[in-house]
Amino acid sequence: MKKQISLALGIAILGLPVATLAATNFSGSWVRDGSKSDPVPMTAYWLTRPQEAGIGGGRGGNGPGGGRGPQVPMVIQQTANSMEVTQPQGDVHKYVLDGKPHARPTDTGIQKATVTASFQGDTLVIGTQQPWGGMPGNISLDVKEVW
Amino acid sequence: MAGNISRRKLFNGALAAGLAAGSAPGGFAQAGKKSQETKLPDVWGQDFLYQWSPPDNVKRDLTPGKSPIRLSHIQMTSEEGTDYGQLFKSMRAGGWTACEIGSAQWFNRKLSESEKRNIKAEAKANDIDFYGIHCAGNIIAPDPEAEHWQRHIIDAYNSAEEMGCKLILTHTGSMYSNRNTPHPLNWSREGWTRSVNALKNIAKSTSGGKTWIAIEPVNSEAINNPWAQVRLREDVGDSRIMSGLDITNMVYPGVAFRMTEFTNLVFDLLEDQIAYIHAKDFVWNGMMAGLNWAMNGTGNMDYETFLTRISRIKHPVNMLVEFLSGEEDYREAQRNIRAVAKKVGVQVEGTQPA
Repeated sequence: MKKQISLALGIAILGLPVATLAATNFSGSWVRDGSKSDPVPMTAYWLTRPQEAGIGGGRGGNGPGGGRGPQVPMVIQQTANSMEVTQPQGDVHKYVLDGKPHARPTDTGIQKATVTASFQGDTLVIGTQQPWGGMPGNISLDVKEVW
Repeated sequence: MAGNISRRKLFNGALAAGLAAGSAPGGFAQAGKKSQETKLPDVWGQDFLYQWSPPDNVKRDLTPGKSPIRLSHIQMTSEEGTDYGQLFKSMRAGGWTACEIGSAQWFNRKLSESEKRNIKAEAKANDIDFYGIHCAGNIIAPDPEAEHWQRHIIDAYNSAEEMGCKLILTHTGSMYSNRNTPHPLNWSREGWTRSVNALKNIAKSTSGGKTWIAIEPVNSEAINNPWAQVRLREDVGDSRIMSGLDITNMVYPGVAFRMTEFTNLVFDLLEDQIAYIHAKDFVWNGMMAGLNWAMNGTGNMDYETFLTRISRIKHPVNMLVEFLSGEEDYREAQRNIRAVAKKVGVQVEGTQPA
């Protein structure tokens, strides 16, 4: 038995001019609409202490003197049975849209995540099971994304 | 349990643990001799640089032992008018089956003999293990503060004996007045000698007692690694010197991502020297070497290995969950610990309400 934590994230995204070819094809560039989206938890770093303002927003990764730069879009390339998502941070996630579980390394590269993705009608549902922070011995984390 | 420890026996025990851990024979620190590198084994050979990344496919033996774990978090109070029956009942109802008390709170007023009897009786009636006094103070502070705090520890020891507690917990401290402020010479021979002499004084003044003197390792103090804990016990020469193990307190960047190996190394070295455990977690998510608190089970600590190794200690172990922000955090920490324990087959006493 393992601890199951389910997160259902409501994320609203705005299509840039090149986006949205069809209802079930997400290919294109997208930016997040913060006003209509739930906050995204930092799953790897769920601190019990309040974080400094700005971390997780515009400060992280910008280096000394960095500030909030222009929002980088998320880029999606989709074919009939696969989808590749390039996150604003540069991480690339590939999905096979066959409804079967597929293993992929977690972002730490140390553990494995199991990803299942399939269309349910016009809706793409992606389920991810992984150790919380991608480290050995973490509690399990279940994430359900509905597109 | 009490009494002088045989150096030969200790050395042999430590050697066996070292061999089990796969380290070089003859490697454990004897007084005045250091013949083993006090670090994790190299991953890519000695010609490489900092070896802070874990090797591929770290083997994890998650075979559980038979010792159950009791969870504790500081809720114990001895304030005047405390209804101890209700206090212990509420602890158990929340899934907490053990408790300790801070020495400052404990000595805040003089308890009557009937109140002490009441505490013992209610703890027993509610199956709560009131196991220890968590001591304030700094036993190697600049004199005469050191003497004052050593006296405090001795008083706490005698009180723990009277209450039937398993242990007192203290630190070796810092050469500054505030034990939480690292002094540059805490890791010098002078710092070590002051630590050993302070504990020798405490041991001598409490000789004949059965209560353990658990020492909590902390990065800011001389006792900040498992080798130091083994050697401290040997140099003080008293088997009551135990480890109040807090692995997270010993983490530095070099082991932050090698926690499975580090956890195993700590347990291989200390084994049954561990009196009880502190449960924390951490992440390293900044540019500098500072580590941040994380909810138990979500950070870099390998909780599956951690709980498995605790369950293999020959005596039942209490585990203190501490340094969280509020009661909901403590409930979440307990849920996480119980979930991991269930997954690896480790028994945690009591039941947490849904």
